[in-house]
Amino acid sequence: MVLFDPLLILLVIAGLYMAWNIGANDLANAMGTSVGSGALSIKQVIIIAGTFEFAGAVFFGKRVTSTIAKGIVPIDTISLLDTHLVAIGMLAAVLAAGFWITLATFYNLPVSTTHSIVGAVLGFGLIAAYQGIIAFGEIQWGVLSKIIGSWLVSPLLGALFAFLIFSLIRYSILQKTDDPYMIENRFVILQTMTACYIAFAHGSNDVANAVGPLYAGLHALELAGTTIPLWVMVLGGIGMVFGLATWGYRVIETIGTKITELTPTRGFSAEFATASVVVLHSFSSLPISTTHTLVGSVIGVGLAGGLAAVDLSVIWKIVVSWIVTVPVAALTSALVFLGLMGIGI
Amino acid sequence: MIRKEYIRSVLNIFASSPFKPLGLHASKAGEAVRKLGESVDAFCNGDMEKVEQLNHEIDVLEHEADVIKQTIRSELSSSIMMPVNASDLLNFLKPQDSISDVAQEVSFWLTLRKFEASEEIRKGLLELMAKTLETVEEYEKLVDTLSELLETSFSKRDVEDSLTLVVEVEEMEHQVDLVEKDLIKKIFMEEESSGGASVYHLVRLAAGIGDIADKAENAADRLRTMIMRR
Repeated sequence: MVLFDPLLILLVIAGLYMAWNIGANDLANAMGTSVGSGALSIKQVIIIAGTFEFAGAVFFGKRVTSTIAKGIVPIDTISLLDTHLVAIGMLAAVLAAGFWITLATFYNLPVSTTHSIVGAVLGFGLIAAYQGIIAFGEIQWGVLSKIIGSWLVSPLLGALFAFLIFSLIRYSILQKTDDPYMIENRFVILQTMTACYIAFAHGSNDVANAVGPLYAGLHALELAGTTIPLWVMVLGGIGMVFGLATWGYRVIETIGTKITELTPTRGFSAEFATASVVVLHSFSSLPISTTHTLVGSVIGVGLAGGLAAVDLSVIWKIVVSWIVTVPVAALTSALVFLGLMGIGI
Repeated sequence: MIRKEYIRSVLNIFASSPFKPLGLHASKAGEAVRKLGESVDAFCNGDMEKVEQLNHEIDVLEHEADVIKQTIRSELSSSIMMPVNASDLLNFLKPQDSISDVAQEVSFWLTLRKFEASEEIRKGLLELMAKTLETVEEYEKLVDTLSELLETSFSKRDVEDSLTLVVEVEEMEHQVDLVEKDLIKKIFMEEESSGGASVYHLVRLAAGIGDIADKAENAADRLRTMIMRR
């Protein structure tokens, strides 16, 4: 077994494509809030985002990556039967998730890369069970329900944290000052710190969506042990930073001009809450959507009276995309898997 | 445009704030009343050409205010969450919009007939206009405090500052009322010399100018409701 196995090369390419997408859109969404408040220039944001996203991915991304790779589908059991099955299944999963994300992005649907990859990996598990490779009971339903539960909890937790943080700022600082604009100026420094924090958090959770399947393939082909090789994490980090540099800056510009309402105190509250929730989940090895958590946090700031106008209709779009993404990604992944098996890979 | 852009953003959670256009709308009303002040001056000096020209300018301002009002209304869908009640906001927008409406109406009436009355009535008319303009400008100051209120997310001190301004607008409107009643009395006292058409014209003008201050007071009152019922 060599590293130049065509399956592995395909897994690397597909993983890089996912990473590019994550950097181009998800990371850009998370960073856009810092530009909108005027706290940082686009250039500064890109440097901060690139550095801390990479650091988050490389130094704190292994837990979630491990969950995507081994937590949902019992790849060890499958690779006992045939080591290639895992690599093919994981390739099918990344291709399906990448396809769905591409489609959703063209239609501006608020679809999460996390939800797509989890759905796609599950699809591989289900088709494997359907074909009798594993038993249905061997799919880690417990882990899966914990993951899905965290998708519901994370935006709510973001809203709660942001509500508390902004309320604290509001009662202890904003309402006691004569010059609220000076306070905003002071928060620019704090917001620079939370911009680093949110990039780090994002990297630590979302790198898994790109390199989780790659690690699963490497592990099944016995090219990687129980610990994830550093180069895998570095690859994911580079892919995401590349996505940010080649396309994400445009997304940041677009978002930044739209959300001028988010002043540094509001931006700080939303970002700090989001980053904390995401890091907490990275620590618990749970893959969640950073963007959805950010939406929850923004609503939290709005509930605390911090924003002039919040459009809650986004909640419905998210709920719908949430319900649609998992089955669609699972089904596509299963079909791609059958297709790959059919052409005899 | 978005479809071609390959952008997947959920940050349209940020709706456009209605408060900036609200401030702009108030300044259009203020601008219209300032122009009306100039027009009353010109009218009293017999410069009907200038009255015509200002009437045209006030028409434009009133139309601009209308467009802003429509934009604010159309963007306030039920899914928009604001720090104030949406219906309170619309309730206060309505009398604010009437300020430029009434200014436009008075301006039109100014063009219809030349000023033919005593010096005393001229003074009365100019005083009424000056007091009304003061009221509207005080009201503009009040609307300006909204941005600070939002910035500190309604700190106690800022709320108190705004409420003080509401009381001032109300007090000024009361003064306008007194001047208006006095002026109308004087107009009727001269009915023998000036004739029915002139009396009708001048009464219409006095009532209209007084009405502008009324609308400003009404808007100030509803702005207070909006702040208090948050």
